[in-house]
Amino acid sequence: MRLPQFNYTGPDTLEKALDLLAQRGPDAKILAGGTDLLVRMKKGLLAPKYIISLKALKDLAYIKQDKGTIRIGARTCLADIIASDLVQKEASALSTACERVGAATIQHFRGTLGGNILQDTRCFHYNQSAFHRSGRQACHKDGGKICYARDESDRCNSTCQSDGAAALMALDARLVLASKGNERTVALTDFYTTDGIQPFAMEPNELLTEIIIPVTNGKSSYQRLAYRSAIDYPIVCAGVLLKADAGKKDTIGEARIVVGAMARSPLFLAKESAELKGKLLTDTKAFQKAGNGAMNSASTFAVHNVGATLEYRCAMVSEMIIRALKEAAQAIQA
Amino acid sequence: MEKIDLTLNINHKPVEVRISPNDTLLEVLRDHLDLTGSKESCGEGVCGSCTVQLDGKPVRSCLTLALEAEGATIRTVEGLADGDTLSPLQESFVNHGAVQCGFCTPGMLMTADALLKENPDPDEDTIRKALSGNICRCTGYAKIVEAVAHAAHPQDQCPDCASGLKSCCKAKE
Amino acid sequence: MPRVDSRAKVMGKAKFTADLKLPHMLVGKIKRSPYAHARIISIDASKALALPGVRSVVTGKDTEGVKWGVFAYTRDQQFLQTDKARYIGDEVAAVAAVDEDTAQKALDLIDVTYEELPAVYDPMAAMASETELIHAEYPNNINIHVNIDTGQVDENFAKAHYIREDTFTAPEESYFQAEPYAVVARFDSDDCLEVWCPNGGPHMKSKPLSNSFKIPLHKVKIRRIAIGGAFGGRSEICPADYICALLAKKTGCPVKIEFTREENTIATRQGHAMITTHRTGVDKEGRVLARETTCYMDGGAYSSTGPIATSVPFLSMEQAYRMGSVRYNGYRVYTNKPIRGMIRTHGRGFACGLDTQLDMIAEHLGIDPVEMRLRNSRQPGEYTSTRSLVGSCAMDETIQKAAEKSGWTEKWGKLPPFHGIGIGTNSVQTGFPMGIRGGSQSFIKFNEDGEATVMSGVVDNGQGNENMLVQIAAEELGLLPEDIHLVNADTETTSSDPGSYSQVSTFVGGQAVKNAAANCKAKLFEVASKILKVPADTLAAKNRMIYVQDDPEKCVPIKKVVRVALTNFISVNAEGGYWPKVDMKREWVSNPYGQMCEAFSFGTTIIEVKVDPETGQVTVLNCVACQDVGKALNPLVLEGQFEGSVAMGGQGGMLTEYHEWREGRCLNPTMLDYKLPLACDMPPIHNIIVESIEPKGPYGAKEAAMSIAMSAAQAYAAAVSNAVGVYMDSFPVTPDKILAAIKKKK
Repeated sequence: MRLPQFNYTGPDTLEKALDLLAQRGPDAKILAGGTDLLVRMKKGLLAPKYIISLKALKDLAYIKQDKGTIRIGARTCLADIIASDLVQKEASALSTACERVGAATIQHFRGTLGGNILQDTRCFHYNQSAFHRSGRQACHKDGGKICYARDESDRCNSTCQSDGAAALMALDARLVLASKGNERTVALTDFYTTDGIQPFAMEPNELLTEIIIPVTNGKSSYQRLAYRSAIDYPIVCAGVLLKADAGKKDTIGEARIVVGAMARSPLFLAKESAELKGKLLTDTKAFQKAGNGAMNSASTFAVHNVGATLEYRCAMVSEMIIRALKEAAQAIQA
Repeated sequence: MEKIDLTLNINHKPVEVRISPNDTLLEVLRDHLDLTGSKESCGEGVCGSCTVQLDGKPVRSCLTLALEAEGATIRTVEGLADGDTLSPLQESFVNHGAVQCGFCTPGMLMTADALLKENPDPDEDTIRKALSGNICRCTGYAKIVEAVAHAAHPQDQCPDCASGLKSCCKAKE
Repeated sequence: MPRVDSRAKVMGKAKFTADLKLPHMLVGKIKRSPYAHARIISIDASKALALPGVRSVVTGKDTEGVKWGVFAYTRDQQFLQTDKARYIGDEVAAVAAVDEDTAQKALDLIDVTYEELPAVYDPMAAMASETELIHAEYPNNINIHVNIDTGQVDENFAKAHYIREDTFTAPEESYFQAEPYAVVARFDSDDCLEVWCPNGGPHMKSKPLSNSFKIPLHKVKIRRIAIGGAFGGRSEICPADYICALLAKKTGCPVKIEFTREENTIATRQGHAMITTHRTGVDKEGRVLARETTCYMDGGAYSSTGPIATSVPFLSMEQAYRMGSVRYNGYRVYTNKPIRGMIRTHGRGFACGLDTQLDMIAEHLGIDPVEMRLRNSRQPGEYTSTRSLVGSCAMDETIQKAAEKSGWTEKWGKLPPFHGIGIGTNSVQTGFPMGIRGGSQSFIKFNEDGEATVMSGVVDNGQGNENMLVQIAAEELGLLPEDIHLVNADTETTSSDPGSYSQVSTFVGGQAVKNAAANCKAKLFEVASKILKVPADTLAAKNRMIYVQDDPEKCVPIKKVVRVALTNFISVNAEGGYWPKVDMKREWVSNPYGQMCEAFSFGTTIIEVKVDPETGQVTVLNCVACQDVGKALNPLVLEGQFEGSVAMGGQGGMLTEYHEWREGRCLNPTMLDYKLPLACDMPPIHNIIVESIEPKGPYGAKEAAMSIAMSAAQAYAAAVSNAVGVYMDSFPVTPDKILAAIKKKK
């Protein structure tokens, strides 16, 4: 399958990259590992005039500890994250999430963390060849006015299937977005538009450069479900961060519960997270309640668009949350 | 669209090509250089039939822009043998019945070769995990896994080999 | 021994169709209907033709509009549609251009005006539909109806101690051969048509091309090429074959068409979706007295191998088990979906349903499932319900050996909760009546250096047929495999052969080569007898020598014998053929009785699984695959077939593989969304080869590559049912269905 034509640049400094984005922003796409962008281009879903490759920006690949945070360059490849003892120890949810992405040969130096976070939302009505899409009206994401996953819907209901994003949201990560002459940091929870067509609250002239993860004494867990043990995107996933109460070590001081692969973005469940405060680390009933709450929330967003039945995915939300809570709780108690 | 002149290092030989930015490495290998060992089976980076090595790491050549392969050491299945002499891994594939239709074989070999260079003594789980990005429809993977395991273990006789060959496992390069 | 074709494949040198490059070759692409059912009002190719680099555009107007069919009475498909499109993917036009980008651009510039028609997407709706028929000549959209009735059915039901009726469903699945379909075609300077394409039998391709281009068969040359899998899906002529040749004719250049993965999925063939109802009556011991089966199959838009497809699911089961009196009604129904054909695991719902029902009956009667199989299993010397005599049969041995190896007795009924073990048995026919193309003929020539060239029509799709022929020829001639060169699957030089269709390659094709070799050997012995001064019937051949059996020191090299022959103007070349003795009057629809084929293979698979009761996900713990192959010509190759069968029929076919649709549009045509098994998900597989030594097969061999795909599917279904405590009736058994079953049981 042929790629459409484009103009290629591979800037060797961040400055040059930001310059190019400033000039060409709306007509340009960033190329990191290519496992998302190039596939979509082959299917005829987009044909950007310019491609700006991060290949030469080796300075954007790093994992370092900086005061109370872990800072990961956006261009860090997944294999390096998996191999990092620091990430495994302080942000194990991210470690697990990266390990489950794709298959080994995609991870080596193709898949990057930035690329994983910024992968476009997906839907099996949309992610199809031009031929497949030609015999019927275009859907919202494809420039039309119809949603094939949810009848009568006036908006795109495509799904964020990023493993990394769900784990990072649980870890309360922040993103650094750079543009020419400017830099800003945004919490991942504030990064999503809930618009399936343009899922990310970032400008065309901005580049994701860094992911910042706070290091706490909390423990995290990432759980995901897919048909097979490799290659597949998650059909439902959960990220959880638990911190023990400073005084009562057997009690939850703070919880962050995130459900992924069910909506246009990972869902941070504020209410269910807050309700876990003060509960014992062994309170499986509380975990069950949290799971059910998560399931109810996710069900309002989820549509049948990723190959497994909707009923099943919704039911599994609860199971994934409970497993994640149990694993994180056990890690604290260990 | 402008054409770009590149020199690619393929199987330890510099090769000059004239390509467009939207040419993938797979297309350049197959269509420009007649190195048709690497295959296209899915076109979207899932099946692994296009796997080649870039600086020793297996990558999907169908999702690699040819111009981004410049400067890297590219190795394809055509570069595994030493002239007419098969590599120990290739021999192991032949002797263990790991090749049926042969379409996925080049990709499997490139992934397995990279694995063995990094981990000369992988156990079965490690092999299966490493090969999980290479899809085979004929073999059910069993003999491919055996072939990789035995390529890494030089032995005089493989108890698991149905072929009963005494010399099926040779010393590593 | 390692296969003879492996070396070229591991070196990346083996050429598959898409690897070919010919001088002046053009790129061909096909324009396909994006509508499931639509009248073609007009096609305007002017803008496409005006595009620089476009050399030809063809439509139905460039054809004679003749309809083609596998059978004379199923001629319903044009190669380029002239009046309407019947599925999303139907061929409407094609271009040949200097490169791929131009060809794709040209395709997009062809303006087709359609008038959409109401479409039907499942067999029940299709039969009940009042809207325009898919094919005007087929009322109620029923393509094929196979009716088999052995008589006494109702009487025997009346005698039954226990009767069950259950319905089983499975949606379509696909082959997903590693190699996407491709064709290269050219007309040479003698106006001969040369074609390369993955095929299940080159002679199946040459005849329709000869007919459509009105050129004699000897001018149609389907060439041998490495093939990346077929699994039953590449046997008939494909419109792409004709279209590619047509473009080659129009342009005077070779043309190559390469299918995308999506095209391979929707525009070649798929497996049939089926709804099967089995009604079975047994006696107190669980022996089947009567059975009535009705099956509705979703055939897609054209008939393909309709009559065969509608029959084989039934036939495999009637061979595997005694059925007492049986009535079978199989309906293949047209829908506006991709075309369905024969597939390795043909009738997974049908077979799994029948076998699962035996487990249900066994439970009711308090009989162990293995015992239940033994009470109904096929025995040698019996006749099937449709009156085929079964020769060699070691079904019971496969059941017993599989049970023993899997630890059945220790495990059945004793496994922890949500662990299960299940058994499946099946049988596949080695060939069936195929008229004048039912036999194979081989020709062997000796070269003056004492080595031989074997010519055979047999094709290798990756299963090892070429190796099999070389092994047989070498064994029979007394040479070593490296002394044999094989010329095969080329319609210019090789004789007609049924193809690797109905699993006959070893049985018929191998037999033909063996006979040719035996005839060569007889001639060699005549010459050798004069050299050694002994009667010819005292001689044997082995290791490149001809020797006196009782006095091996008395010998002469084959090489010398050949040279002596040539010096004395004697030819030692020979031919040989084999035609299976089948009932030539047997016909799928009009007369489905009589000897189907000369040999049947039998197999048993036992699977052990563990189910996660919270997620419904299945971990397959162990697999024992046991098959009666007659004689194992090459155990290494056979095991590879067993293992591939388990992956396709069992792991994929039962757990993850199915197609999802929206109004005739396939939602998962790609390798990402259609879930083929991966290396990390496969269980350990223990292979057991049983040899019943089929007297009619070459060295006793018979079919060996398909039966396990079926029995594995059945065993997987049974194991999951056992683990969950609920009999699964909808396949594949995906986690959502498993969870629903667990919930229902509570």
